[in-house]
Amino acid sequence: MIEFKNVSKVYASNGAHALDNVSINIAKGEFVFIVGSSGAGKSTFLKLIMREEQPTSGSIIVNDMFLERLKRRKVPYLRRTMGIVFQDFRLISKMTVYDNVAFAMRCVGKKSRTIKKRVPYILDLVGLSDKANDHPSELSGGEQQRVSLARALVNNPALIIADEPTGNIDPEMSYEIIELLSEINKRGTTVLVVTHEHDLVKSFGKRVITIDDGRVISDTADEEYVAI
Amino acid sequence: MSSLGYLIKEGFKNIFNNRMMSLASIGVLISCLVLTGSAIMLSVNVSDIVRSVGDTNETKVYLSDDIEKLDAVYKKAEFLKIENVSEAEFIDKEDAIKTLRDKIGEDIYANMTGAGNPLPYSYNIKMEDLTKYDETLQKLKAVPGVESVSSQREVVKRLTSLSALITMMSFWIILALAIISLFIISNTIRMTMFSHRFEISIMKSVGATNNFVRVPFIIEGIFIGVVSAGISVGLLYVLSDAVIKAVKTILPFPYTPFTSIMWYIIAGFVGAGIIVGVLGSLVSIRRFLKREGNEILGW
Repeated sequence: MIEFKNVSKVYASNGAHALDNVSINIAKGEFVFIVGSSGAGKSTFLKLIMREEQPTSGSIIVNDMFLERLKRRKVPYLRRTMGIVFQDFRLISKMTVYDNVAFAMRCVGKKSRTIKKRVPYILDLVGLSDKANDHPSELSGGEQQRVSLARALVNNPALIIADEPTGNIDPEMSYEIIELLSEINKRGTTVLVVTHEHDLVKSFGKRVITIDDGRVISDTADEEYVAI
Repeated sequence: MSSLGYLIKEGFKNIFNNRMMSLASIGVLISCLVLTGSAIMLSVNVSDIVRSVGDTNETKVYLSDDIEKLDAVYKKAEFLKIENVSEAEFIDKEDAIKTLRDKIGEDIYANMTGAGNPLPYSYNIKMEDLTKYDETLQKLKAVPGVESVSSQREVVKRLTSLSALITMMSFWIILALAIISLFIISNTIRMTMFSHRFEISIMKSVGATNNFVRVPFIIEGIFIGVVSAGISVGLLYVLSDAVIKAVKTILPFPYTPFTSIMWYIIAGFVGAGIIVGVLGSLVSIRRFLKREGNEILGW
């Protein structure tokens, strides 16, 4: 599903070594937490997966695509295989909940008929059927993040990437969001959650990859994880 | 197809949401197109006038006083034999004096008819190619019985160079205005794009192709171009009609009305509107589409 082989990333603009010889394997259907302090290299790791950045050296395979060989015009098709959940939700304020979710389907050219069937189903899955006509400003942080999750899920991606999904919501809601991601994972979707909330990570007992100073310093399963 | 419908709708939404900027650029574009149209009209009319002056500018060939009328009439064949002479019209000296009747008055005219006529027999000569004017003139002079030759060659020369100058100036004006139009449209679209950067970043993150992102902005560009073209044609129609009417009273020439070149102008303006719209939007999107993720948002 995701394979990093000796990947290093040095930003040409400031010479910063964001990742240093990182090798990671994440199999299909896994649920993985990526933890690390700010500036550790987590964001670069995600950018490389989404092909927003390219590695300085090493090779990356995501959803069977060799990213170093992937042509620029093919990048959208890579991104269609993944759904992204952002810390700040990134919902379009002038659109309703329904339209925000439908937007992701319109962007990939789905037919209106398909959109009309799929969006209510996904909103039901994240428990927001009754909020379909609300605007994001009328929702709580947790609800907004569920809309963001619904948008990430609506195109039925093989991989969900959640970048600090609980960073802007209260702790109770945070558990709910991770629970929801866990449910989605049980249905077969690979889930990658980037976070720095150690309590949350510990309580779910999943695989945890710790990145520090651009290197993977631990890759453990469930209870072995100790916060650095 | 369902995507295209959605994208067209989005394009029109952009125009409406960004209406002040759209209106401003339509306004400036109309000014550019009306100036362009005026330059075209001026250029077309000046060259038409030059052509008509050139056409009527017959070279006059005067025959010797002692030549008999019959001999004078037979000279026509000799003139027509000269290369580049397309027409040779015989002017009887009786007819020539008649044309002066009003100017010279009845009394003098009465003395000048018949044997008292001081005018010679003459010919109006038309040439096919004015660039061979001088050598044709020499050949005409060499015909036996030709006394003198006169023409308004200098007037034509000056008008031709004036027409060339106006055409050249029009070309540069049109070119400058086209560049200004391109700049204005691309700037308007850049503003729209900037206000939509958040949506664009989401579009790219969910896997929208660059073409999908582009289409609404291209539609916005085309709309601005075509609407400006339409209004400009209407304005030019009214303006040129009024200007021609006014100028005709001072300089009575056969002017080319706007309607006779209207369809070319419509086709040209709409075509230019579409090209400038598409180019303007492509120029402004190109740099934007190269950015990724938070770069789009300027973070």
